[in-house]
Amino acid sequence: MIHEKKMNEITKKVLQNQTKKESLAVKNPFGEFDNFQFKKVEIPLDKIVQDTEVVMDKIRIGYEKLLEEEAKELVWMVQYNTIIKAYELAEKYVKEIDYTAEDIEDFCFALENTQRIPYLIPGPAGIYISALCNCVKDEEIKLKLSELKTEINLIGFRLPKGKRLVIEGDTGDFTGIGLEGGELVVEGNAKNWTGAGMRSGKILVKKNIGLHTGEWMMGGEIYVGGRVRGLGNIVEGKIFERDKLIYPGKVRYPNLYY
Amino acid sequence: MEQRNLQFIIEEIWPKVKKKHLYPEIPIPKVGKIEENAQKDQEQAVGIEIKQKQITINPAFVYQMKDKMREEQVIEALLDHGVAHYTFCPWDFQTHLLLYAEAKRVVNDKELAKQVAGYFMDVITDTYCVKTKSTEIPQLHRNLKKSKVEEVIASLYQKIWGIDLGISNESNTGSRHDEIVRRLARIPYLDRSRWPESIQKFARSIKSLLTYEKEEEGKRGGNRGSNPQGDHNLDNYSFEEIDQGLRDYAKRTMAVSEFRDIVEDFSEELKEMGYGMEGGMGRGRGNPIDADILFYMKLAETYSIPIKKVKTEEKGSLHPHSHSPWEIGSPFQDVDPWTSFGKIMPGITQIWKKKEGKGRGKLEGTPDCLIAIDSSGSMINPRKSLSYAVLGAACATNAYLRNDSKVAVYNFSDAPMGGKDILNFTNKKEDIYRTLCKYFGGGTALDLEDIMSLMNGRKNVDLFIITDMKITNLEALIGFLSQIQNRITVVHIGENPYASRFEKAVEKKKNISIFTVKRKEDIPHIVLGSIREYWNSNL
Repeated sequence: MIHEKKMNEITKKVLQNQTKKESLAVKNPFGEFDNFQFKKVEIPLDKIVQDTEVVMDKIRIGYEKLLEEEAKELVWMVQYNTIIKAYELAEKYVKEIDYTAEDIEDFCFALENTQRIPYLIPGPAGIYISALCNCVKDEEIKLKLSELKTEINLIGFRLPKGKRLVIEGDTGDFTGIGLEGGELVVEGNAKNWTGAGMRSGKILVKKNIGLHTGEWMMGGEIYVGGRVRGLGNIVEGKIFERDKLIYPGKVRYPNLYY
Repeated sequence: MEQRNLQFIIEEIWPKVKKKHLYPEIPIPKVGKIEENAQKDQEQAVGIEIKQKQITINPAFVYQMKDKMREEQVIEALLDHGVAHYTFCPWDFQTHLLLYAEAKRVVNDKELAKQVAGYFMDVITDTYCVKTKSTEIPQLHRNLKKSKVEEVIASLYQKIWGIDLGISNESNTGSRHDEIVRRLARIPYLDRSRWPESIQKFARSIKSLLTYEKEEEGKRGGNRGSNPQGDHNLDNYSFEEIDQGLRDYAKRTMAVSEFRDIVEDFSEELKEMGYGMEGGMGRGRGNPIDADILFYMKLAETYSIPIKKVKTEEKGSLHPHSHSPWEIGSPFQDVDPWTSFGKIMPGITQIWKKKEGKGRGKLEGTPDCLIAIDSSGSMINPRKSLSYAVLGAACATNAYLRNDSKVAVYNFSDAPMGGKDILNFTNKKEDIYRTLCKYFGGGTALDLEDIMSLMNGRKNVDLFIITDMKITNLEALIGFLSQIQNRITVVHIGENPYASRFEKAVEKKKNISIFTVKRKEDIPHIVLGSIREYWNSNL
C-alpha cells in the first residue's frame, strides 16, 4: 500500500516535470508553415514565353548556320551571286521554322544583344530577315525597329506580291532590292541603292533616301516623302519625290547628287 | 463609422495577406482619404496609395466597388497588389529608376516613360500574385472601370492569365489592339533578369496607344486619370531607400549623363523629398539639384576607405576643470564627493566639468586634408563623362569628413593665369564637391603660394594630389614638397617623363607616396586600395 502511494507520487512528479519541460521547450518559429503550400499555378504566359524561346532558338540557329556557310571569316561581300546564294540558304533554314511576324522583330533586337547572338553582320543579317519576312504566314509584317542601333541592310529583298512589310525606323543600304511585287514601307530614312534591281511592287520611304536610288530598277514605284539624294541608272519604273514624279522625266538625272 | 469598419476588415485580413507574402516588413495598412492629381469628375477613385511603406486604402474606392465585390475581396486584392510591389516588383528604388530609364529610351518623353514604367510594374505584380498566390486581383480587374489603355492591359491579363475578365474582342476596338496585346503577351514578365529588355519591348508595343491617349486628353483639356491601383512615384519610398537607390543607380550606370537625365526627370519629386544641394547630406530646400554633383556624391558613397589616425598635437585627454551643479540625469561618475558633502541631492551635489587638455600625442586624430586636383585640358571633364580623378578625390573627401576632419580643395589648371578655384577648409560636403567638379581645361601650372597659404604652416594637414603630372612648374612643386613634412599622397595618371622625373625626385621622401594609375578606370580601386595600405601603415 505504502509502495503504491510512493509510486503514485513519483509518477505525478515525473508528469509535472514533463509538462514543465514542454512549456520551456523553444517554439519552432517556422511551425506556422508546417502546412503551408506554395501555390504556383501554370498560367498561359508560361507556355507563350516558353514557345517564344523555342522559336527564337531555332531562328538563331538558322542565322548561325547561315553565317557559318556564308561568312566563315566574318567577312561578307555584297555581290549579286553572294546575295542570291545567301538568300537561298536563308530561305532553306527559315522554311523549317514555324514563326510569326513578332518573332522576326524579336530576332532583330536579339541581333544587337551579343549575349544571345554573337555576331551581327549587316549583310547576312538583312538577307536572313528578308527571308524570314518573305516566308512568314502573315501577309502584313510590322517591324518596330526605331530603337535598333544598327540600320539593317538589304531588308525587303525579294518581297513577294501580296506581302506588305512596314518598318518603323530607318533602314540601311540596299533596302528593297529585287522587290518582287510586295509593298515595302519605311517610316524613316533609307540609305543608298534603295530599290536597286526591283522588278515590280512599291517602296514607300516616309523621310529621305540616299544615292543610286532605283539602280537597274526594272519596274515598280518608289515614293519618297522627303528628299531623294540621287538617282541610279534606272531601266524602267517610277520614282516620286514628295508626290512629284522625278523619274521618268527631266527633273533629275542619274548619278547627279542633290 | 464606415471607415472604422474598413479598418476592422483590414486588421482581420492583414495577417492572412502577410502570411501569403511571407511576412514582409510593412506596417499595418490604414484607411484614409487619398489625394488624386487627376480630374475631380473622374469616375473611378484611386484604390490604394503607398507612401514610405505605409499602405492606405481609399474608402471611397471600396464603396464604389461595393455592388460588384465584397469589401473583404476588394481590400485583399488591393493589399496583394501593394505588398507585391515591395516583395517582387520593383522591389527597390534602383529597379524603379532602371525601369523608368529603359522606358524613356523608347518613348523619349518623361510623362510617357513614367506611365509605361507604372503599367509594366503593375502587370508584373498582378501576374506574380495570380501565378503564386491565391488572390482576388482578377475579380478586381473584372470590375474596374477602364480607360483605353487599361482595356488593352486587361485583354493582356485575359490572355496571359487564362481568366475571363469580361473583355470582349468587340469592345477592344479591333485588330490594332489585338496586335498590341499579341506583342505584350510575349514578354517574360516574371523573369527579373530580363526586365530591362522586357520593359523596352513593353514600351515599344504600347507607345502608340499611350501617345494617342495623351493627344486625346490634350484635346479634351484634361489630365490622365489616376491609376485605380495607385500611381508609382517617389513618395512610395523612404529617404533611405531613395539614397540607396541613387547610390546603386550611379554605380550601375557609371555614366554622368544617364544619371543626370534621370535626376532631372525626377527633380521636382526629389526637391519635394528635400534633395537640394545646400544643407546637410545633400538635402535641403529651394535650390536646383546639381545632378552631376549628386552623381559623384552617390557614387563615392559606394566606396569606403579607412584612414589611419595620427597622433595629433592639439588633442589631449579630458581633465577635470571646474565644478557645476549636478542635475538629475547627469552622469554619476562625474560627481565630486568631496565638494558634495557625500550627498546626492540637486542643489548640493557638484560634478566635475571636463575640458580637453593640450597634451602631446596622447590621443589619435584624423588630420584635415588639402586636395589638389588637376582640371587641365588633359583631364576628363567631370560634367561630361565619369572622371575617375574626381571620383577618387570624392572618396578621399568622404573618408576625411566621416572622421570629423575638414577638407580644403585646390582645383587648378593654369593657376597663375587664374585657372583655379580655392575652397578653404570646410566640412560642407556640397561645397567641396562643387569645387571638385569644376573644370577649367587649358594648361597645367600650380601656384604654390595658394597651397602654402591654405596649409598655413600646419603640420597636421594631409596633402592629396591627383594630376597627370604634365605640370609646367613641376620643379617648383618638387622643391615645395621636399620641404614639408606632411603626409602627401600623389596620384598620377599615365606614365610620362614628367611623372618619372617626379618619382625620382621624391623617392627618398618617406612622407610622400606616389601611385601610378595606368588605366583611368582603376583609380577608385587602385587609389583607395593603396591609400588604405598607406594610411594603415605606420609612418
